[in-house]
Amino acid sequence: MAETSGLQTPLWRAIAVYRIAALVYVAILVVRNVGAYERPVLAWPVLAVTAGWTVFTTYAYADPARRRPPLLVADLLVTMAVMASSAYIVGAEALKDGKPTLAVAWHVAPVIAWAVAGGRRWGIAAAVAMGATDLVVRNHYDQAAYTGTVLMLLAALAVGYLVGIAEVSQKRLERAIQMEAATRERERLARDIHDSVLQVLALVKRRGAGLDGEAGELARLAGEQEAALRTLVTGRSAEPVDANAEVDLMTLLDPYASATVSVAAPAGAVRLPARTATEIAAAVAAALDNVSRHCDPGTKVWVLVEDEPGSVTVSVRDDGCGIDPERLSQAEGQGRLGVAQSIRGRIADLDGTVTITSAPGEGTEVELSVPRPG
Amino acid sequence: MVVDDHPMWRDGVARDLAAAGYEVVATTGEGRQAVRIAGAARPDVVVLDLQLPDISGVEVITGLLEALPSVRVLMLSASGEQQSVLDAVKAGASGYLLKSAGQAEFLDAVGRTAAGDTVFTPGLAGLVLGEFRRLAVEPAGDDGMTPKLTERETEVLRLVAKGLSYRQIAERLVLSHRTVQNHVQNTLGKLQLHNRVELTRYAIEKGLD
Repeated sequence: MAETSGLQTPLWRAIAVYRIAALVYVAILVVRNVGAYERPVLAWPVLAVTAGWTVFTTYAYADPARRRPPLLVADLLVTMAVMASSAYIVGAEALKDGKPTLAVAWHVAPVIAWAVAGGRRWGIAAAVAMGATDLVVRNHYDQAAYTGTVLMLLAALAVGYLVGIAEVSQKRLERAIQMEAATRERERLARDIHDSVLQVLALVKRRGAGLDGEAGELARLAGEQEAALRTLVTGRSAEPVDANAEVDLMTLLDPYASATVSVAAPAGAVRLPARTATEIAAAVAAALDNVSRHCDPGTKVWVLVEDEPGSVTVSVRDDGCGIDPERLSQAEGQGRLGVAQSIRGRIADLDGTVTITSAPGEGTEVELSVPRPG
Repeated sequence: MVVDDHPMWRDGVARDLAAAGYEVVATTGEGRQAVRIAGAARPDVVVLDLQLPDISGVEVITGLLEALPSVRVLMLSASGEQQSVLDAVKAGASGYLLKSAGQAEFLDAVGRTAAGDTVFTPGLAGLVLGEFRRLAVEPAGDDGMTPKLTERETEVLRLVAKGLSYRQIAERLVLSHRTVQNHVQNTLGKLQLHNRVELTRYAIEKGLD
């Protein structure tokens, strides 16, 4: 059973209102019909029980902790008992005549209560039990008798369905609130980190940069952490990636920025279809990976993103050892999977072009240009 | 003059500058105070942290230039928030450096700023390139005042953004080091001029002149 959601409270209140209104209706009908009853004297105590139970349940259901099986079962049984007593008090004759039971419409309340507390299935179960009791008590099976039961069943079904929907939307709302809180917390953290940790790390890196040995090493490590942390706190917030949606290419490329990788881009978002953006990012990752595999550690890399009206161009340049153009084409000729293949393949799929320029000792530059669709 | 709200950083930078032979005429941690004392302290160069607690980097730069039109501002920031860096450059800053830059790089940048050069990081070059492209695509102002880069300027900026040094760019394009420097400076000048024109137009439209 679901925890009480904020949307359930009004439903319980509605049940209480219904029960009270039904009680008034019961009282009026009993007063009007009491002359036709087989044992009219006993009708009054039953009416008193009906009234007492109405008051009790109104208070009992108001407390979310009590909306549980014990009370629900008791509610169903008491209501069934009131209804069953009709067979004895009203009498088979009067009931056959079409006189209502002592519950009249009051017996629908526990059925709705079950539907609200447990959803569709519970509602149907209660409706079936109550409907069967109603039919047995009245002991005549015509259209009108069935209609009452069917209506009750439909009401239980509808209310149960409504409660299910309410619960789902309540959960969504809660999740949205949580996410918003998390985002705010992240922004607050980013400000704090910016004001303190980043500055100190940058300072350590700066002051230790000229030192030899362990101190220099510590400064270098501080610098690396500073770069990683900076990317983390200033990272443009990622959007949900959906194949048809447009995403900001920079949300995918900014994370590659580090102590050795500079990412230069326009200030605004570089919007591209999600698939194009992920493929470009994967190609850039392949190029960066290639640099770290083939060049000395500490080789610097510059990534430049240019957003033009008809196309997006991304260049990845390093100041590493460079590749002999002959070797590159040789590797390609031998069918070895390398940079070229992985990058060229991805970009060709997007109808883009790849230019690789390199010379030994002069670093390598990979330029990817992808047309904007449409 | 050193403006930074982080005391440890501020003192460290001031010490480094003093050790390198510069005279530090003032240090402060607040933007408003920086603007107030600039007129009296008369610094040649202001080393400015872009994120100050009281007023925005753009406001500090505008205020400094009003108080002391000849001052040159070298911005530093711990995190490269692209838009605020771009705004600060448009407001008149003459150079930008990440705080993670090494000590030698920093002192070199201060020296170049003092000499009247612009200090560009590859990141800043990317931002400026992007800004010119944005202005070119944007529905142009009716007076056709949209600033444009020449082909050569675009070429130079792209190479800066790709991490080439001015010397490397000069070699590659067969230009003098000075010419490369001028091209870079021009791109910034165009952007700042455009920004002033826009601000003036805005002021006239709003009746604030």
